[in-house]
This record gives sequence, structure tokens and C-alpha cells, in this order.
Amino acid sequence: MSDPRLTRRALIAGAGTAALAAPVLGQKLGQFIDLGLPGGPSLRPLEPQFPGKGEMIVQRIRPPLLETPMEVFRQGIITPNDRFFVRWNWAMPTEVSAAKHRVAIGGAVKAPVSLTLDDIASAGETVEITAINQCAGNGRGLSEPRVTGTQWGNGAMGCAKWTGVRLKDVLAKAGLAEGAKRVRFAGLDVPMTTGAPQFIKSIPLDIAMRDDVLIAWGMNGEPLPLLHGFPLRIVVPGWFSTYWVKMLSTIEVLSSEDESHYVAETYRWPTGPVKPGDKDFATIPITAMPPRAFITSHADGAAVALGQPLVLEGIAFGGDAGLARVDLVGAGDGGGWEIPCTLGPDEGPYAFRRWSLTIPQVSDNLTQIGVRAINVNGVAQPAELVWNPSGYARGVIERISLRAQ
Amino acid sequence: MRGRFWLPALLLLGACDTAPKVVFEDASITLPDDPNDLPEAPGREAVLENCTACHSPSTMLQQPRVPREKWEATVKKMIELYKAPVDPKAVPQIVDYMVEVQARQSDVSRETPK
Repeated sequence: MSDPRLTRRALIAGAGTAALAAPVLGQKLGQFIDLGLPGGPSLRPLEPQFPGKGEMIVQRIRPPLLETPMEVFRQGIITPNDRFFVRWNWAMPTEVSAAKHRVAIGGAVKAPVSLTLDDIASAGETVEITAINQCAGNGRGLSEPRVTGTQWGNGAMGCAKWTGVRLKDVLAKAGLAEGAKRVRFAGLDVPMTTGAPQFIKSIPLDIAMRDDVLIAWGMNGEPLPLLHGFPLRIVVPGWFSTYWVKMLSTIEVLSSEDESHYVAETYRWPTGPVKPGDKDFATIPITAMPPRAFITSHADGAAVALGQPLVLEGIAFGGDAGLARVDLVGAGDGGGWEIPCTLGPDEGPYAFRRWSLTIPQVSDNLTQIGVRAINVNGVAQPAELVWNPSGYARGVIERISLRAQ
Repeated sequence: MRGRFWLPALLLLGACDTAPKVVFEDASITLPDDPNDLPEAPGREAVLENCTACHSPSTMLQQPRVPREKWEATVKKMIELYKAPVDPKAVPQIVDYMVEVQARQSDVSRETPK
């Protein structure tokens, strides 16, 4: 498609073709997975398969929204590229010419430049960092009361080794002008409707200048797959993936606040507690991630052997700071007990970390047990969901029940 | 999917300044078609004509059940904010359809075997 923008005529034509080609809903979709979304609909297909991907939960086919099945997180702290979640706001280009690709740097800079991929790769020292990339809406489908938007389970996250150069080294190619305040990114994805807001995101200058904020071309030792933003994407360790702009093509240094849609009007959450139906509350952008922990060894409702030892395992992370500890906690507000878990190897403050715990003998059902992560800043996962109308930044203690038999 | 780069051994050995750190190659991908369709109900044509170019039917059908007002607000948002070229006359039909289809959805998750 030479012009991805759609006119009304094209919309109708496209829809007609889709309707003719499509079988009846629900037929021949093969395998489903149940995400346990309260009130449903909770089943999601594991098809169709996407190029370069293994089995994924298909939340949306066009533009792609693919969720990682929780079983993948059992396997290690690195999420393989072929199982890593995929999220596009607008239609993604399906072809990128490496030789023709340019990254334009403009705005509040001394000298606007247009850089080739080689210019970017040689802008500074090559840096590798292991970091979690998590959608701001991860776990939205588990919100109670439910909210609209992509109905993710908890699989809109992954941890990869990202290879690239520091953003600040690339910015130095243009030089920051006096008054530079924020750095805004745009990719090759463009709105499908004329006049709709482009998906552009900005970060404050102090974040942009961090030593670990990268323009990455490598993901787990491979070139970024197109679905993950080939040829370049922004990496902001500790911050939600909405800022990790894919298919980077434009960097704009702002000397004022960012009034664009995806910063000023959405990807925001309330500054204080709100209830469903509340209106006109103050909001701030959703930025740094809170700590989270998950049990990956057992699914909710699984049977365990009565009278036998039980090994529980999972993953955790500290969010925008390293993980300090993980505790197994009882129902409700801790249930009066907590047992510290053993942490696995530390792969850096922004990576998944394994945890495990052996219960010497199972004496009864384990009802609504959870794991609570606490980061080095002392931020702990809350026992109650911090509900917000967009279902952002889920961080509540995740719970399961196990039947002893 | 094509798209490869190479980290030459030179880099790992800390080699000369002129050697490229990575070699970027073109990439392309063919995305799958959406095999889903929308169930029959009044307003289906309006949804097909006005919504499905940007939204997979699957996405619409996977939303939690929400009141009519929420669907009205959602369609309004698509028109005003995301500039969806929706025929104004189709709006009530779209809303009717989503409300009807959602009303039919009992909790499918509990009824369909895994």
C-alpha cells in the first residue's frame, strides 16, 4: 500500500474484501487459551501464526497485538524474540529499506541532521542492557471493574538484551540548543485515518540523557524483528514500553511541554484514587513501572500433593529500581503471614529475576496465595488493585489457589 | 522474515574505527489476514463498513460487556479524536450492534473447553 491512510471509500472496499474472505466467527480458529478475565469474554485464539513468532495469544490481528503465554516466563529470565509480546497502535510498515532509512533530528538543536543507520551505530560506544519491556496496559483485562481497551492478561511484558548506542550520543550529533526540555520520538507507523494523531512520545531531558537510555538495533543478539521495531527502537529501562518507540525515524527536541495526544491526553492515570464513573480528575503521564511478581510454576486451581513438599517458582522485577525481595503472602491483606522467597541470579535492576520457595509439607489447600515484590526503594506491591479507568500500571499482588489432594 | 545484521568479530576484538559495528539489511514481513468475521445481528453492515478497516473483528468481540453509553462514547471518540470517517447515520446502528452482540455473549470462557 503506497499510502496507508484510508479514505472512506478505501475503508468500505477493505471491509468488503475481508467479509468475503472470512469464515464464520469462531470456526476453524483451532486452539484457544483462557486468560481468566473476570466476566469474560476470556478465550483468545493462538492463531493465526505471525512470521518469526512461535505460539502467541492473538489479541488483535491488525494492527498486531500479540501476548506472551505465561508458560514462557517459566523458561528463564530472557523472553525469546519469537515469544515476545507485540503491540502496535497504528498500522506498521511491512517493509523497511536499511540503506534508505534515516533518522531526522530537529527541533531545539544546534544543527538539524539526518542520520543513516551506520551514522547511528557509530555515534558512540555500543551498549547492551537487559531490560523489561512492559505495556502500560499489561493486565488490563484483569481489572475489576473491567475497563475497555486491549484486554491483556499479564503477558504484555518481556525481558530482552537490547543492543544499541546511547540516545545522548546520537543527540550530540545535532547538539542540544538552549532551553531543551523534552525529547520526542516518532516511528514509521502512521495513522490509518487522515487527521488522526500520530503515535509520538516524549521523555524529559534528564531521562533522555541517562547512560542506559538507548537507541537499540539488537534484541537478544539478533536484529530487531520488524514486529519489534526494525531497524531501531528507543529503550528506556524501568519505564513502560509506550516510550520505547519502534521503527524510529524522527527525534524532535522540545523546548516546551509536550501537548501531543499520546502524552497530553492518553497514557495518563489519576494522581489520586478514583472510582468508576468519576470525571474531571487530575492525571499525570504513566511512566515508571511498579514492582511485580508472578507465580509461574503453578496455574490457578492446580492440584498439589497433600503431605508432600511443594516448590513454588516464578519471576519478579522491581520496576524502575532493582528488586529487593519477594515474599509469599497469605490471602487478603497478607493474611497475617509472609515467607521470604529465595532470589535467583541478579541480571541487573531492570531484568526479570527468578524466585523460588519450598514449602516443607502441604497440609491444606493454599487459598489465594500471592507473591509480593518489594524494590530497593521500598516500594511494595499493594494487596488491593489501584483501579484506574484505563487499566494502566497494574501492580496488585497476583494470587492463585492450589488444591491439596 | 528477512532481516539480518552481523556483529563482526572485529567489533568484539575492539577493532579499527572504520569497521562498521553492525551491518543492517533490508527487512520485510507478510502479516496474516484476519480470519474472523462478525456474527449476524442488526447493524452488522454498518460495523463492517465503518469499523473493521482499523479494528479486527476479534478486538471488538473481546471487549468486556459495557453499557450502551460507553459504546456511544467510544464511537464518538473514534470519530472526533481518531478521525474515523464514520457515516453519522451509521452511529446508532453500530452502537445497537455492539450492545446486541455483547448481550448474546454469555461468559464464553467458562463454556468452551480449553
